[in-house]
Amino acid sequence: MIIEAEGITYSYGDLVAVDHISFEVDKGEIIGFLGPNGAGKSTTVKMLTGQLNPHEGHVRVLGHDVAKEPKAVHERIGVCFEEKNLYPRLSIRENLQFFADLFDVEIDIDALLKKVDLIKWADDKVETLSKGMQQRVMFARALINDPDVLFLDEPTDGLDPISADSIRKIILAEKSKGKTIFLTTHNMSEADMLSDRLAFINEGRIVALDTPENLKLRLGKRMLKVKVRTEKGFKEESLPLDHKDTPDRAKELLENRNIATIHTQEATLDEVFIKLTGRKLEQ
Amino acid sequence: MRPSCIRSLIKKDALMSVRNNLILLGMVAGILFSLIYYALPSDVEETYEIAIFDEDSSQFMSILSMTGAGGLEFKVYDSLEGMKEAIEKGDLIAGIHIPDNFDDDVSAGRSPTLSLYFLHGASEDMMDTFEFIIRSGIEFLAVGQEPSITEYEVLGMDMAGRQVPLREQSLPFYIILALVMEMWTISTLIVEENALGTLRAVLVTPASSSDVITAKSIIGVVYSIFVVSVIMLLTQSIRGNFLALFACVMLGAMFAVSLGLFLGSLTKNITGSYVYVSVPLIILIIPAMLVFIPDVSLSIVKFIPTYYLASAIGDVLNSGAAIAAIASDLFIIAVIDLVFFLLGIFSLRRRYS
Repeated sequence: MIIEAEGITYSYGDLVAVDHISFEVDKGEIIGFLGPNGAGKSTTVKMLTGQLNPHEGHVRVLGHDVAKEPKAVHERIGVCFEEKNLYPRLSIRENLQFFADLFDVEIDIDALLKKVDLIKWADDKVETLSKGMQQRVMFARALINDPDVLFLDEPTDGLDPISADSIRKIILAEKSKGKTIFLTTHNMSEADMLSDRLAFINEGRIVALDTPENLKLRLGKRMLKVKVRTEKGFKEESLPLDHKDTPDRAKELLENRNIATIHTQEATLDEVFIKLTGRKLEQ
Repeated sequence: MRPSCIRSLIKKDALMSVRNNLILLGMVAGILFSLIYYALPSDVEETYEIAIFDEDSSQFMSILSMTGAGGLEFKVYDSLEGMKEAIEKGDLIAGIHIPDNFDDDVSAGRSPTLSLYFLHGASEDMMDTFEFIIRSGIEFLAVGQEPSITEYEVLGMDMAGRQVPLREQSLPFYIILALVMEMWTISTLIVEENALGTLRAVLVTPASSSDVITAKSIIGVVYSIFVVSVIMLLTQSIRGNFLALFACVMLGAMFAVSLGLFLGSLTKNITGSYVYVSVPLIILIIPAMLVFIPDVSLSIVKFIPTYYLASAIGDVLNSGAAIAAIASDLFIIAVIDLVFFLLGIFSLRRRYS
């Protein structure tokens, strides 16, 4: 296992931010951590990356106990933070070169900047960049040491759809190279699209951990939506796919020949999350 | 600690600080302030000019010039009004009105009456000295003998004839001011790293908190020595015992760094840091500023660490003091450096962990 968290707990005073959570992540896997703000996602990342030591439990990354050997872990991980934390008075190139120097690696910075579509602004100071561009610099910084494990905290936050899509493609490309990726987000479609497994975290606890498909199948409600023409206009009927009467009712509607549209509706992760926690992800 | 990380951090901090207008302004202002040096008098006026209005050509006047031992020069006025006007205008610092029956009173054993006039703002020491000279003169006139004080001994360094001009006395002020500005630079670098969140990014690389602290300390010492050297070159004041001067500058630079580390560890917020730093900044300059406020002797300044630094620098530059002569000052500065350094490290490591 590349990441092993065992009963990790962290409190800020009386507030328990992360409450005895355990999980494992395999090599080449993308695990998505989904949860509303304040659910404990960022605190979990801080413990996994050695920024905070768990008050209880243990974290092992790449075979090293993070609390005891943080630097052995830091050599081989890349972290993309949620908040923008770049040196504003340094250029993009200077920012990346500084981190390359810290890792003592020789890297083709231009190639990295081309990858995140920032080569044109390589020598611009970070303070002059838009929020989305700064986000791409932070993502590039996380890749600077060609890490074995990537911790990405809201990596597409603030990006336009095209930039977000290019970042997602890079994430998938890194996965295909065998990199393990720990992704925290509150963007459900992104989590659904990228993650091999998803963990729903709420009030510091993991309330579900499975593949997106399994979560939706197990906890979501699959429906057949049929719109029928009537004398007064249209009437829509929703039939639960797993109900015993649905096949007969669907047959009846089809024989009627007044169907305007018919389609199936999959359960969404949002519905799954509401079902599990009683609250919405955006809360 | 990793030397390669420390090197990278130093390079980055150097770039960040020279691109920070406030830090740059502080550094340049510290240097430019030293140009006040050239606006100050370069020599010391050792002779006092005294006004005299003598109504009846008294013998007392010739006795006075003898008693004043060459430190006094007399300017005779024809009228009391003329003399008083000259003193009021500041042309002379004091004046004596000798009445017409003065010699008769003295020789008859009567208590003579004599009026003294002083320029406003004249120091008490000066007035006392002047009164002593007058009394000695009267005694001489009365008994025909010189006053009984015939021998004197100077305790400590005898500076007679080689008093230090204000210009040279002001040198410690520029150096202390520059060092205090560097203290502000260090604390800004520390606070900024926290406030920008970049510290988190650095600490998830092979760099440790010790590397960050070491890099900022090195930057601080180098900047401090650089700025002090520029000031000393501008004021042509690299002189005296080199070893003693080097010790003062090094301990001063370490003082700026250790206090900068400590103050920088007290807040995460850049605006808050200006408050945390500006108050100590003003207090620390006070001991070096006293040179511009004559006759003010505040024993309380001995509780301000820079007092010992200013004193040691002044002794080296203006009296040619060697290490042994300023050893006690250097020891106190070294202890203060160590205390603030340990406090700063302790506080920063707590913050960084």
